Amino acid sequence: MTWRDLQLRMRALLFRRRAEEEMDAELRFHLEMQARKHREAGLAELEAGRRARQEFGGVAQVQEECRDGRGIRALETLLQDVRYALRGFRRAPGFAAAAVAIIALGLGLNTAIFTAFDAYVLRPLAVRDPSSLYEFSWTLPNGREHRATPAEFADFRRTSTAFAETLGFDMFFTRVEGHYLFGELVTGNYFTMLGGDAALGRTLTPDDAPAPGTQPVAVLSFTAWKNKFARDPEIVGKKLVVRGYPLTVVGVAREGFPGIGDLPVDFWAPLTMGAQLQGGSNLQRNRRGNIEIVGRLRRGWSPSRTKASLAAWAHQYTADSPFAEKAVNVRLLSRASTLAPRTATLAAMSSFLASFGLVLLVACANIANLMLARAMARQREIGVRLAMGAARSRLIRQLLTESVLLAAAAAVVGFGISQATIGLAVRLLYATTPAGYLDALNLVSLSPDVRVFAFMLAAAIAATLLFGLMPALQATRPNIMQAARGEFTTDFRPSRLRHALVIAQVAVSALILISAAILLRANLRIGGVDPGLQSAGVIELDVEEPLRERVVQQLAADSLVQSVAAAGKVPFMGQLPELVVRPAESKDRHRARFQMASPEYFAIFQVPLVRGRSFTADEARGDAGVAVISEATARRLFPDRDAVGRTFRISAPHGPGMPMFSEARVIGVARDAINGWIGDGTDSTCIYFPTTLHSAGTVLLARVAGNGDAARQRLDASLARDIPGAIDQIHSVDEILAVQLYPFRVVYWVSAALGAVALLLTLTGLYGVLAYLVAQRTKEIGIRVALGAGWGQVAGLVLKQSLRLAAIGTAVGSLAALGLARILAALIPNIPNFDAAAFGVGMLLVFAASVCAAWMPSLRAARIEPVATLRCD
Amino acid sequence: MKPATQIDLLQGTLDLLILRALQNEPMHGWAVSERIQQISEGVLQVNQGSLYPALHRLEHQGWIQADWGVSELGRRARFYHLTAGGRKQLERETDNWERLSAAIGRVLKMA
Repeated sequence: MTWRDLQLRMRALLFRRRAEEEMDAELRFHLEMQARKHREAGLAELEAGRRARQEFGGVAQVQEECRDGRGIRALETLLQDVRYALRGFRRAPGFAAAAVAIIALGLGLNTAIFTAFDAYVLRPLAVRDPSSLYEFSWTLPNGREHRATPAEFADFRRTSTAFAETLGFDMFFTRVEGHYLFGELVTGNYFTMLGGDAALGRTLTPDDAPAPGTQPVAVLSFTAWKNKFARDPEIVGKKLVVRGYPLTVVGVAREGFPGIGDLPVDFWAPLTMGAQLQGGSNLQRNRRGNIEIVGRLRRGWSPSRTKASLAAWAHQYTADSPFAEKAVNVRLLSRASTLAPRTATLAAMSSFLASFGLVLLVACANIANLMLARAMARQREIGVRLAMGAARSRLIRQLLTESVLLAAAAAVVGFGISQATIGLAVRLLYATTPAGYLDALNLVSLSPDVRVFAFMLAAAIAATLLFGLMPALQATRPNIMQAARGEFTTDFRPSRLRHALVIAQVAVSALILISAAILLRANLRIGGVDPGLQSAGVIELDVEEPLRERVVQQLAADSLVQSVAAAGKVPFMGQLPELVVRPAESKDRHRARFQMASPEYFAIFQVPLVRGRSFTADEARGDAGVAVISEATARRLFPDRDAVGRTFRISAPHGPGMPMFSEARVIGVARDAINGWIGDGTDSTCIYFPTTLHSAGTVLLARVAGNGDAARQRLDASLARDIPGAIDQIHSVDEILAVQLYPFRVVYWVSAALGAVALLLTLTGLYGVLAYLVAQRTKEIGIRVALGAGWGQVAGLVLKQSLRLAAIGTAVGSLAALGLARILAALIPNIPNFDAAAFGVGMLLVFAASVCAAWMPSLRAARIEPVATLRCD
Repeated sequence: MKPATQIDLLQGTLDLLILRALQNEPMHGWAVSERIQQISEGVLQVNQGSLYPALHRLEHQGWIQADWGVSELGRRARFYHLTAGGRKQLERETDNWERLSAAIGRVLKMA
């Protein structure tokens, strides 16, 4: 179709009357000219006109052909169909409203989840040429990902030519003036490479990194400036005390500049300030390095070519390293969007997206059934039209027009629903996030963009085909001719398709509800697990090294604080580190997890020592080769004898955060507890090594009297007053536990909500089908009643039918759930392959609900008056 | 009623004739039919009824364009003229036609 053609068509459509008039005038002109010619040749006036018309042929036919030439035929029929469909909707407003509402619900929920997916995974970062940015790292023989140390990063920049340009950054959380800020230490080229201009002042430049520690400057993000510094116009030149170290604010980045990182960045400081700002907060991290390398692909280089070059570099670079530090593989991941598309991220997200998609499917099945019922009710009309020679394609087009109109309205309403859902979800997120973490909550913008609208359009089209095409094909099947002759009274049964649709809905509901039940039980199990340590009333403080002594003194002096301890890692948050041990007089090597603990650790968490004793202050200070082990560890390492007094050898690289000795003597056995990740349950192994309140790389723990949260706030305020910027994080351990459990709760609540929606849709669907069935069989049932069938027999007739559908659907759904449970079990700890109770509850719920849905229609069937049915039709 | 010397138009050749008729100057529909008869010395008889659908079709294809103008007798009439695309199309179709007629001529002579 050319542009000119389109123009003409539009004109013909919009100015239809004018086009008609012009055509008439043109044809009239021709006839007159022809008649005139004949007159000039000597024919009489009347004869000349007659001859001209004769030569011309049928004027009406020519006009019709000209109209075809104009090419608005299809559009005119379309308008006709639209008018016809709208008339139909006006006659059945309830049907139209229900269909729009149900499809809108399905579309809306899916659009909402897609908006989130889009915002994090698909939407390109608002930086210069994001699609050519790639993150590079390598993996070690133990499968772990290696992040570069400052030295490694410097070597990489100097010696590798794989990227056109390279930047590095080191992410960390800190608190400034009571606000959590997500900071990044960045290389000098960060802002020029990413196209980050300044809204105020200037951004960082390579000149900001002349020598380590000499440029205490920072740049704020626009959002942080707006939300956390109240758009202070005088911000440039002010000092931010970050980890006790004053940084001068030199500028604010342009609005919408997100930086590059796992979260929207609040502020940036030069990477060369690392020693001051990252000092020793976590020495383990330093040993492994924490610098993320992001490079820009060279012009014309594919990612695979770049990866090959990086692999060659990494292998060569680590060739002389000890085996455990050799690069075995390199990773090159796109950094075009907020979340790098890692397989694990995509797998978790796609299962989420899929469950939302299932709800849309249920909604479509529902409406397909309604449409089918409508089409069946019109089968006489359709039959007559087919009999009179209407093309089947024409009828299908007409029925599809209805579906398209419904889907279009549903898309508009669904967009509103998606916005409302997102708003509600964000509000819920803020309402349910543990108080101490609220300020740290940092969402990317969830506004819809062109991809979201494209998704809506695609989903609406897919939905239209799903719920519209099938009924249209079914309703115009040639054998419907019989219906036109009224031949459906004896052998009329609703088509198999309708049954299949109901079964599919029941099956999906069962699948989602069983999954929700499995997740609920997993939640209860994790939530109800006894951690073996008393976390209530214990507060964790992440303190910067230079200020640690003062914080310890202040805590000790505080009347609220009962006792203070130190640990390598706060309990519940992530897995404990691992090392390999070998008991003396044994050849067996064991992998074991360990925790660094000050002597007060066991008392502060009230973990009883079942044998032996805790560390003495001397042992802690002197890094003596002693250890306390958990009961489970004792059983594993020393299965036959008392563990106390025995020794074991440690084969692990020495370094910060690791024990300083290679042999340790067991001095005590502690009761089993959870020091590691809550999802893993009670530690399968845990070896406690001594540390002190003053050791670098540990967190401080304080037991306080009274309400943990109030005490936390009071403690925070007094510390902020006396030692500003000292506390990176301060949380009650219970809050940490709650945050760890939070994702499980979210997954559970979302799946429960989806299950509820799916069940509701299924019930309305089932109800609709049965009600329709009863209406169709009114005559038959009336005759049955007239012949003496009882109340129970008639109701049973309908109930039996629905129960059969529900039973098949539930069975199919349960089978699918069996498969899904295995996937869930692999993804989430604490989920068994088969959870009989969850299956029982889910199946029962769906089945019982189906019976309820069938109840009303069966009652209606039972109340049919035989006399009334004989009168109708 | 037709003289024996008149030939019905071959399918598809009407477009070519219309384009050719419009090559030199814009003209209205009636003039196109007259011109074709005149040049072919009455041998080619354009079915007047099929002329207008063809004109409208060609207009949609973008080969000719119509404007209202004033005819030689002072009446308002729709004048068609060739577009640049129409000129190219005319060349193409003329080529095709010449190849076809030459080929048919050869076959008739040789066979």
